Amino acid sequence: MIRSAILLLSVLLMAATPAADFHPDFHNVAHQAGLTQSFPNGGGQSKQYIVETTGSGAAFLDYDNDGLLDIFLVSGPGGTNRLYHNLGNGKFADVTKQMGLEHTGWGQGVCAGDFDNDGYTDLLVTYWGQNVLYRNKAGRGFEDVTAKAGLKQDRVRYNTGCAFLDYDNDGHLDLFVVNYLQFDFATTPKPGQNAYCWYRDLPVACGPRGLPFDRNILYHNNGDGTFTDVSIASGIAKPAHNYGLGVLTGDFNHDGLTDIYVACDQTPSILYINRGDGTFVDEAPMRGTAFDDNGNALSGMGAAAGDYDGDGWPDIFRSNFSDERETLYHNRGNGEFDDATLAAGMALNTRFVGWGCGFFDFDNDSWQDLLLVNGHVFPEVDRLGIDVHYKDRAILYHNTGKGKFVDISESAGPGILEKHSARGAAFGDYDNDGNVEVLVNNQNEPPSLLRQSGKPAGNWVLLKLVGVKSNRSAIGARVRLTAGGLTQIGEVRSGGSYLSQSDLRLHFGLANARRIDKVETWWPSGERQVEQVEKDLPVNRVITIRESQ
Amino acid sequence: MRAISAILLLAPLAAHGQQDSLGKVAESPQRRAFLALAQAAGGHCVAAMPDLAKQFAETPEPELRRLAGLALSQCDLAQGHYDEAVPVLARLKTLYPGDADVLYQTARLHMRAWNDTLFEMYRKAPSSYRVNQISAEIFEIQGRYAEAAAEYRKAIEKNPAALDLHFHLGRALLLQSHSPEDLGLARREFEAELNLNPADAVAEYEIGQILLTGQDSAAAVKRFERAASLDPAFAEALQAVAKARMDAKQYGEGIALLEKVVRLQPGNESAHYSLMLAYRNAGRTADAAAEQAALDKLRQAPEGEFTDFLKRLGDKAPQQ
Repeated sequence: MIRSAILLLSVLLMAATPAADFHPDFHNVAHQAGLTQSFPNGGGQSKQYIVETTGSGAAFLDYDNDGLLDIFLVSGPGGTNRLYHNLGNGKFADVTKQMGLEHTGWGQGVCAGDFDNDGYTDLLVTYWGQNVLYRNKAGRGFEDVTAKAGLKQDRVRYNTGCAFLDYDNDGHLDLFVVNYLQFDFATTPKPGQNAYCWYRDLPVACGPRGLPFDRNILYHNNGDGTFTDVSIASGIAKPAHNYGLGVLTGDFNHDGLTDIYVACDQTPSILYINRGDGTFVDEAPMRGTAFDDNGNALSGMGAAAGDYDGDGWPDIFRSNFSDERETLYHNRGNGEFDDATLAAGMALNTRFVGWGCGFFDFDNDSWQDLLLVNGHVFPEVDRLGIDVHYKDRAILYHNTGKGKFVDISESAGPGILEKHSARGAAFGDYDNDGNVEVLVNNQNEPPSLLRQSGKPAGNWVLLKLVGVKSNRSAIGARVRLTAGGLTQIGEVRSGGSYLSQSDLRLHFGLANARRIDKVETWWPSGERQVEQVEKDLPVNRVITIRESQ
Repeated sequence: MRAISAILLLAPLAAHGQQDSLGKVAESPQRRAFLALAQAAGGHCVAAMPDLAKQFAETPEPELRRLAGLALSQCDLAQGHYDEAVPVLARLKTLYPGDADVLYQTARLHMRAWNDTLFEMYRKAPSSYRVNQISAEIFEIQGRYAEAAAEYRKAIEKNPAALDLHFHLGRALLLQSHSPEDLGLARREFEAELNLNPADAVAEYEIGQILLTGQDSAAAVKRFERAASLDPAFAEALQAVAKARMDAKQYGEGIALLEKVVRLQPGNESAHYSLMLAYRNAGRTADAAAEQAALDKLRQAPEGEFTDFLKRLGDKAPQQ
């Protein structure tokens, strides 16, 4: 059903003129922004257990609906997760305590979504231990509703990535949680105690090989503030020989149903295809997303989706371990993928252990660029004196628009070159200026907030989607935007990157286009909605699209 | 360990027999065997070896034959008779495949022979390029690639015409660093190897891989094609050509090449994976499913002691 809707114009900004050879200049502005607290995560010089290596995530979310993205960062023990309120002047204020979010433990991931459809974005934080679901009380505080929602777990689990999704399109956000493996301090061997506790002749934290597998969890939203674990009935529990970390949701085969991709460590990655009857089946091997081009299972960490070649289909990027290539899977147009890493020019960065990652158009030229953050799992690796490091720089790939990427990290500003043991990375435009910033959670350090000092010349638009029949966060809604003769796609998604949450709004670089010709939205409810612009419409603004009644 | 334990268990019995009259011992082949085993365990190999050899050759008793063979090979090693130990251990491996004691003894034989030969090489030909080459290979095994590259360079300086040195240097350069700049250095060495030996298919293949990494797929494919023509059974090269054909949507040719690789190497998981995707891309769904089944079967670790060990460690079924 095609319906028209009103474009709600929010923030009007100056139009820009594109420049042919824009060079980004990313700076880490975390300190100036007030993000000065360190986020502990196990040992900084050596690590005894694998649980010290995997945390933690980062999130951009607008918890108080003031139109400005706030920041949430997850912490390991010795600190607390923190919520920072965006003051609107480039600075953030720590509001953790007053918002009821102080919590300690082996925090891993974070994902956001309005699970109770009250118009305010809620949070789930995953733990080695027990996850916590925070209900947002109208932007004035958060309430731990884990038990009330039925999310108390029957045993200690190593929960990692998470995502809200509406897998049955009933208008209520369900919840997917990745489980890495089974771990406990009492029985896990110490570094060097068995063959899986060594790295290049160094005794290191054991695993994941040698530690028991676990399985992933799908919770169905009952629509009354509670969830039911449907992992077994839905088939989510079936893949049982994978070490899962990052999760990426999306409708990869454009059948109107949200699928789930899980980046797995040292084991084949999983692509749960949604069969539309409440069940999923892992089709990753045949669809080409389980292995690399040679059929090898790599050490997947984070995952991101984006249409890098502009063919209208979402492609998948996965970050991997050192001595492995990153993996770029090109969607062939039907939810089947080819490994395009080599062809796209991403084969050279093999010394990095990659984590958080995301497609974003940093220069607003309408082509999806890509950034990933890095850092080895073992601090001990620095003793080897090789070119693999515990703390390392990020990688920024510029999309040249021909299905190819160029690594411009060395000339993209000091923020990209700073060395950290980075994990989660979230992408969002926190100052609504049309440039996407990147929030990075660094182990045992304050976070990084990567912001461009210059302004790219291309035009842009931010689309904020609001579900009515569909879930209020519009998670799962797909957009096709046409401007300047180019068509781009986007999808609202919870979770993604590495254990992180990016802006729920969709950012599109528009290059020279000074008007948007058409915005088509496929809502989870099944509605197709078209906004057709009759006259020149200024770009460079936030546009709210509300689902038709 | 099992052999040594058995010998120790037998030792008192044989020693007791030794105290009987020699005539009685001589009458019983089994007693002679026990005596020989005890003598070998006590280090009296010269006395023991004739009877051990006889028992190993003649006894119908499998366990006694196994113990006699192990003791005989141990005595050969102890006396530096590597050439004589070789056929004994070869026969033991045939008779007792997978036996840990036999495999251990065989490994010891090769290790001893390697050490002695290496020592001799360093002593008698210390300035030979072969000393640098073997040193480089040892460094490679130890993962010390920079030192390996340095030794290969010394070897090349001494004998610029020797085959394989440039190839190995190129490989060490690739392993020593993740820097894209080193790809060029490595390629130069593979090219130098080809100058010495234009029929080196693996050097051609390595250059193809470097070109592919550097985005020059057209030039890479030519190298892969040449590698495959130099060695028509070179699975990796055939697979690389097949992938190029598939990328060019020449499905028939790509699939034919991959089917050839799978015939050549039925256990090659990578080839099965490529063939599965090739069938998929060509729309041959049933064939793709069959390949996936073959791949799944291959990916299941073979049964055995090590697999059981892994299962105990990591393959526990998850709790629900």
